[in-house]
Amino acid sequence: MSPSLRLLLGRLAAALVTLLLVVVIVFAVANFFADPVALALGPGASPAEAARLRAAWGLDQPALHRLARLLAGLLRGELGLSASGHPVSQLLARALLPTLAYALPGAALATVLGLTGGLFAARRRGHLLDRLTLAAATLLLSLSGVIVVIFARDLLAFRADLFPLVGWPLAGSADPIAPYLALPALTWALLQLGPDLRHYRALFCRELRAPYLDGLRARGLPESTVLRRALRVAAAPILARLVARVPHLFVGGVVLEHVFNVPGLGGLAIAALRGGDLHLLEGIALTVAAATIAAQFLIGDLLAPALDPRLRARGPA
Amino acid sequence: MSRLGRGGALALLTLVGFVAVALLAALGLVGADFFSFVAEPYAPPGAGLWLGADALGRDLGARVLQGARVSLLVGLGGAALTLALGGLLGGLAGLRGGPLDRALVALADALAAIPAIIALIGVAMLLGPGLPTVVAAIGLTQWTGLFRSVRAEAQRLRAADFYRAAEAMGAGRRHQLRHHLLPHLRPLLLTSAVLHFVHAVKVEAVLAFFGLSSAELPSWGGLLAACGGESTRGIWWPLLGASAPLALLVLAAQVLADRLAEDPRSA
Repeated sequence: MSPSLRLLLGRLAAALVTLLLVVVIVFAVANFFADPVALALGPGASPAEAARLRAAWGLDQPALHRLARLLAGLLRGELGLSASGHPVSQLLARALLPTLAYALPGAALATVLGLTGGLFAARRRGHLLDRLTLAAATLLLSLSGVIVVIFARDLLAFRADLFPLVGWPLAGSADPIAPYLALPALTWALLQLGPDLRHYRALFCRELRAPYLDGLRARGLPESTVLRRALRVAAAPILARLVARVPHLFVGGVVLEHVFNVPGLGGLAIAALRGGDLHLLEGIALTVAAATIAAQFLIGDLLAPALDPRLRARGPA
Repeated sequence: MSRLGRGGALALLTLVGFVAVALLAALGLVGADFFSFVAEPYAPPGAGLWLGADALGRDLGARVLQGARVSLLVGLGGAALTLALGGLLGGLAGLRGGPLDRALVALADALAAIPAIIALIGVAMLLGPGLPTVVAAIGLTQWTGLFRSVRAEAQRLRAADFYRAAEAMGAGRRHQLRHHLLPHLRPLLLTSAVLHFVHAVKVEAVLAFFGLSSAELPSWGGLLAACGGESTRGIWWPLLGASAPLALLVLAAQVLADRLAEDPRSA
């Protein structure tokens, strides 16, 4: 077995162990630190109702048995029943599309702007334009997400009327979905731009100062070639940043979805909170954690070493 | 002070101002009457009420001042708990090594994979709304990042010559901790403390937005949640009162953290 294959298998095993640990932690918190039935029914529930729900959720069985059943269900892609009686996996599948529909374009826009802006500033490090970019990014970062969302709603949707609607087309209606997506996607990009600009600026400042670039320049290579080499080397840390943003993609827009009435995962999490639906929250946590770990493995352990030979020996930085 | 530069000094001064306001509010010297109905709903800023009234006719200025208490308490408490958990566990894992290290790293990896906002909502759901809940939720979900940096730093130090020389000369654990570890960790811990303060203040605003923060005291996140688009009718003071101090506090702390991180001693 080649060393790189062995490294890869080791990373795959580590990812699976982490995922298993996540399941155990979430299960333990949801089962030993809380009573999901009492949470879901609230005070004043009849004992008969409680017993019915307890049986429906299988809470009358021993803990190890329940954990085994949870794991077996996960392998089949099933997450049990929510407090309202719907299968959790169905609720999640329905919420995933609206969330990704605005979060992916928003994140793509912010990433492109952050990368170009960061490179632009880093190449003028210390000059006025760089300092202005950095100041703007810090200012944007300081506006808490709650502020950005409320201002976007009041200024862009309500007052300026730039965006026709806050909400979402009803299921089955022939309304085009694009106008509904514009405001959430734009707000999402605004939320991500501050931290991204700062991150990519710092990253490019570091990469552009690397001594090997001076070596290339000394050999008379044109600046565009030098920059291309530097960008190729920066690919791995950029990918690492993208991986780190994956959980945000799914549940970073809780406030946004709540305010703009997007029927996505964030809205589902708030519904779970309001309804005391621990099972639903558990399902969201497990799904997003699995997606995060999968992205870490696919991008961080498979793609990044393919792009950067230095990572093949040592593993990702 | 001089190493902070002008911007850093200004940021520090702003933070001191926030602390002063929070203390005065806690002592009841300013904004003491934040709960009674003293004016017409949405009364504009004027002689009696410097920031007008909210939707229920309560003194908005007093509520905004009281909000400083919540933000600072959660910011400081959340940062302290995060620092304590991340610092202690990170130092322990880095210095001890072995199975304990591997177990803690696995735990941190698993916890870091659970999305923070879902974990925060889960903890708040289990413990019920309130300030202790918010602080606990922040500490329990945020320690993993600091854990990683402190662990790496402790591993580096453990292999350093001066550390091993002191060990060879019979230095005890306490001596090593006081004279070799903490001085080297101080820049990292200081910068992280301010960054975690920033983070905790932001998280509190989100949790308060969903009614999970303090039930007794007004909070800026809660004030923002109460803004229902009335700014489009020219009623701008609720939105301004809730957002401006929150943004200013976060900005000041962020600038301070940036200055601290730039400091050569913390590089």
